[in-house]
Amino acid sequence: MNTKINAKANSQIKVITGNAAAAIAAKLARPDVVAAYPITPQTEIIEQISKFHANGEMDCELITVEGENSAMNAVMAASLAGGRVFTATSSWGLVFMYDAVLATAGARAPVVMVNVNRETPGIIAVSSGQQDMISTRDSGWIFLIAENCQEVLDLVLQAYRLAEDYDIQVPVMVHYDGFYLSYLSEVVDVPFQEEVDRFLAVLKDQPERTKLVPGGKLGCGSHGILGGYLELRHKHVSAMERSKAKFEQIDKEYQEIFGRSYGGQVEAYRMDDADVVLVGSGSMCGTIKTVIDAKREEGVKVGLLKMRMYRPFPGEAMVKALKGKKAIGVVDRSLCFGFKGGPIYTELKAFETQLEGSKMVSFIDGIANTDITTANVETMIDTTCGLAAGKEVREVTWICYPEAQESDAEKMGGR
Amino acid sequence: MTGKKKGKLTKVLDYLKYEDPFSKGVAFCPGCGLELLVRFIPQVLGNDIVITGTPSCSAPVLLGQNNQSWHTLSYFGTLMTGAAANATGLARYYRKAGIKNTVVCFNGDGTAADIGFGNLSGAAERNEPFIYICYDNEGYMNTGIQKSGTTPYGASTTTTPFGSASKGKNLRRMNLALKMAMHKIPYTATATLSDLGDLAKKLLKAKEAKERGFAFLHVLAPCTTGWGYAPENTIEVCRRAVKTNYFPLWEAINGKIRMTKIVKKPKPVSTYTELIKKFAHLNEADLQILQDDVDYEYCMLGGLSVLEAECQLPASLED
Amino acid sequence: MSDVRFHGRGGQGVVTTSKILANAFARTGQFGASFPMFGFERRGAPVTAFGRFSDKPVREKTQIYTPEILVVLDPSQRNSEAVFQGLVPGGMLLLNDSDNTINVSHENLKKLGIIDANKIALEEIGLPIPNTVIVGAFAKMSGLLEIDPCCDALQDYFSGKKLSANIVCVKRGFEEVELFDL
Repeated sequence: MNTKINAKANSQIKVITGNAAAAIAAKLARPDVVAAYPITPQTEIIEQISKFHANGEMDCELITVEGENSAMNAVMAASLAGGRVFTATSSWGLVFMYDAVLATAGARAPVVMVNVNRETPGIIAVSSGQQDMISTRDSGWIFLIAENCQEVLDLVLQAYRLAEDYDIQVPVMVHYDGFYLSYLSEVVDVPFQEEVDRFLAVLKDQPERTKLVPGGKLGCGSHGILGGYLELRHKHVSAMERSKAKFEQIDKEYQEIFGRSYGGQVEAYRMDDADVVLVGSGSMCGTIKTVIDAKREEGVKVGLLKMRMYRPFPGEAMVKALKGKKAIGVVDRSLCFGFKGGPIYTELKAFETQLEGSKMVSFIDGIANTDITTANVETMIDTTCGLAAGKEVREVTWICYPEAQESDAEKMGGR
Repeated sequence: MTGKKKGKLTKVLDYLKYEDPFSKGVAFCPGCGLELLVRFIPQVLGNDIVITGTPSCSAPVLLGQNNQSWHTLSYFGTLMTGAAANATGLARYYRKAGIKNTVVCFNGDGTAADIGFGNLSGAAERNEPFIYICYDNEGYMNTGIQKSGTTPYGASTTTTPFGSASKGKNLRRMNLALKMAMHKIPYTATATLSDLGDLAKKLLKAKEAKERGFAFLHVLAPCTTGWGYAPENTIEVCRRAVKTNYFPLWEAINGKIRMTKIVKKPKPVSTYTELIKKFAHLNEADLQILQDDVDYEYCMLGGLSVLEAECQLPASLED
Repeated sequence: MSDVRFHGRGGQGVVTTSKILANAFARTGQFGASFPMFGFERRGAPVTAFGRFSDKPVREKTQIYTPEILVVLDPSQRNSEAVFQGLVPGGMLLLNDSDNTINVSHENLKKLGIIDANKIALEEIGLPIPNTVIVGAFAKMSGLLEIDPCCDALQDYFSGKKLSANIVCVKRGFEEVELFDL
C-alpha cells in the first residue's frame, strides 16, 4: 500500500528544512543569476541550488564566488543589467558584503536575498540570534521575517513580487532564524511551477524598469550630490513607505493563488480581546502561540502581535493593533546600546504616545542559541500581566541571564 | 637521502622537540590530515608560537569556547576575511616592542586561496614578519564540502556536484603556492604528510626566514570525510599525490624555485584518484583533462626552476 | 503530540532518523517537526536530535526538555545522564544494542525496546548505519505509525538498490524489535 503525502491539485507536500524551502522557492522564481557562497547555517540553500543546477533543473548562471562581498556585487550588477537574481547569506557573510548591500539599495536594484539569522555581535559565534538583521536594519532594504518553513518559502516568492514591482524597486531580504528554522524539517506545501509563474506573471505586464545595456546610453553608480542626492534619497524613503500597502496587497494575491494568507505587515494572534500582548518575530512566534493557547485555557487574555515586515517599520499597522492594550512585552533577540531595552522595543517605543496609555516592557532572549522555551514565554506573559495589573516591573529583563538584573549601583567596578 | 624505514622515522621524531599542546579527544574526524599537521607544528616550532585561526575545520579545536580551550597555545581567533591582516598587527607590534615571537597564521585553502587571499597577498607584498601556513584540503570542509579555488578539476563537491548535467568542478585549480612565490618572499614551500621529515625541515626554514620577512607554506592535508576515502589511507593519499606529481614538493627562496623532491618516474594521476571517491564519476577522457592540468603545472614549475641559474637576485636586494 | 529525543554519534544517521519519521507522519496526514541539536558535528562525536510528532500542526520551535520517548542509537550512551534528562513518567526508550539483556533503568522508564540495528544494517546495506532499522523499530514500539508510511518515507531519501535495501531494514526493525514492560 502506498501512502502518498496529501496533495492538493496544484502543489505537493514535502517534509523539508527551512533552507530547502528557501532553495526551492528560489528555483521556482526562475532567477537568471545566482551567487553561491556557503556559511553556517545557510549552506544547505546553496548546496540544493547547486544540485538543481547540476541536474539541469535550474537554468541560471551559477557563480560559485570566493566570498560574500563578491556574491552581493555580482548579483547587484546582474540585477541592474536586467536580470532576476538570488543569493543567500548569514551574519558574518552579511557584514562582509555590507558595502555592496548599501550600494544595492542605493542603486534600487531589485535583488532578493535570504539572510539566515545568526549572531554577529563581535564575538565569533555560530548560533542563533537576530543581531545580524539589527546590524543592517537601515541599509535601505525591505526586511521580511518568517516564522516557520512554510512561511520561508512563501516569503521568498512574495519577495520577488515586491522587489521587482515597478512602484517599489527596492531590494528585499528575507530573514529567518538560523538553527531553529534553517535545520528544522517541517511539513511544507510546495507549489507547482505553473502556479508560481502565474503569481509572478503580473510583473511582466508592468512598464520596463531602467536597465544597464550595451548601447543603452544609461549609466548607474554616478556620484550623488546636494539636491540630486536628496531627490534620490527621498524617492527611496517614499518607495519604502509604499511597500507597506503593496505587501498587504501581495498577501491577498497570494491567498487567491496559493490559499495562504499571513495578514500582511503583521499577524495578530488572539488579539481582539487581549489585555496583554507579546510582540515578537520569527520562530519564537510558534512557541508563543502554543503558550498563549494554554494561558487562554486558564482565562488569561493574552495575544501575540507577530511582526513580519521589519523594514520599513510597520508603525501604523502596529499602532492599530496595539492601541488601548493594557500592557505590551516586546521580545528582542538582539541588543542595542544606550537605551533601556532591546532594538525592536526602542523602535516601538517611538510610537508610545499613539498607543493611548499602553505600558511597555522589554525582554531580551534567544541570543547565542539560548532557547526561547515555553517556560521563558510563560515568564514573559506573567511579567507583562503583572505590568497590566499595576505592579512595579523592571523595564528590561534578560530572561536567560539573571546577572543582568543586578542594578547598576550594585555592579560598580565590573566590566 | 633514502634510508631504511626505521632510520627515517627516527629522523622525523628528532624534529619533535616540544610537547604536543593539544588535548586528546578533540573534534577532528578520524584520519584528519589537518589534525596531524596542527599537532606537528608546535612540536617542531615550540609551544610559544602565537597561532591565529579562523572559522574552518580547525576552529572547533583551535578556537576556544567561552573561557575554555583545547590546547595551551596563545591564539587569536579571527575571521577569514582579515586573518593575514590580524597576524600582521600582532607581528608588527611584537617587533616594535622587541618581543621575540613566531606568529603562525594558520588557515585552510578557503581562506588562503579565496575569501582571504586579498589580505594574504597584501601581507606578502609588504613582507610582513610571520609564517602563513595553508592546510589545503581542497574545499570548504567545515561548512560541508564546498569547492574552493584549490579544488581540482573534476572533483565532486556540494557546490560542484556530479549530476546529469555536470561532471563535477569544470574549472581547473589555481596554484596557490606558485602565486605566493611570485611575491618574491624570503621563503615559500609545499609539503605534505607523507614526507614529515621534509615538512619539519621546511617549518624550520620558514621560522628562520621569518627573521627576514614573510614565509608561506602550502601543505596538502587530505580530508577523509570530504574526499571520500578510508581514514587509514590519509598518508597513502599524500604519498600518491607526490608520486604522481599531482602535488610536487618544492621551495622558493626570494621567489627562486628549487624542487626539493624529484619524482623520477611519476605515476599516472589515476593511481591517485582511484583511492578517492570525489573523482569516482570521472571517465577516462575526464581524467585525461586532470592529467593534462597536472602535467601543465609541473611543466611550468620545471620551467621556473630551470631558470634559477639565469635569475640572479640583484645585489641590491640581497640582505 | 509525542516529544521524542534521539541520541547517537556522528555518522549513525541520528538526524535522518528524526527526519524520516517526520516524513512518515506527514504521509498519514499528520505533522512532524524534526531538527538537530546545534554544535560542531564530527564523525564519532555525540549527536542529539529532536522530533515532535502530532495530528495537529506543530508550532513549538524549542528543543525538547521533557521527552516521552528516547531513541538511543549508540549503546555506549545507554546509561548516560544526558540521555535520561527530563524523561517524563511512563516514558519509553528504544535502544540499539547487540546485548538484549535489560541493563538500563530509570524511575520514569516504563517501556523498553531493544534491537541490534547495527547487525541488521550490516546484513542488509553493508554498513553499520542503524537509522532505518531504528525507524521500523520505533513504529512498532511506539504504536504511532504503521509500517507502510515508514517504508514509503524512504523514497525521499534513497533510490534504486539503496531504497529497497533500506526498506528491508525498516521492516526488520519493525519485526525484530524486542519489547519489554518495566
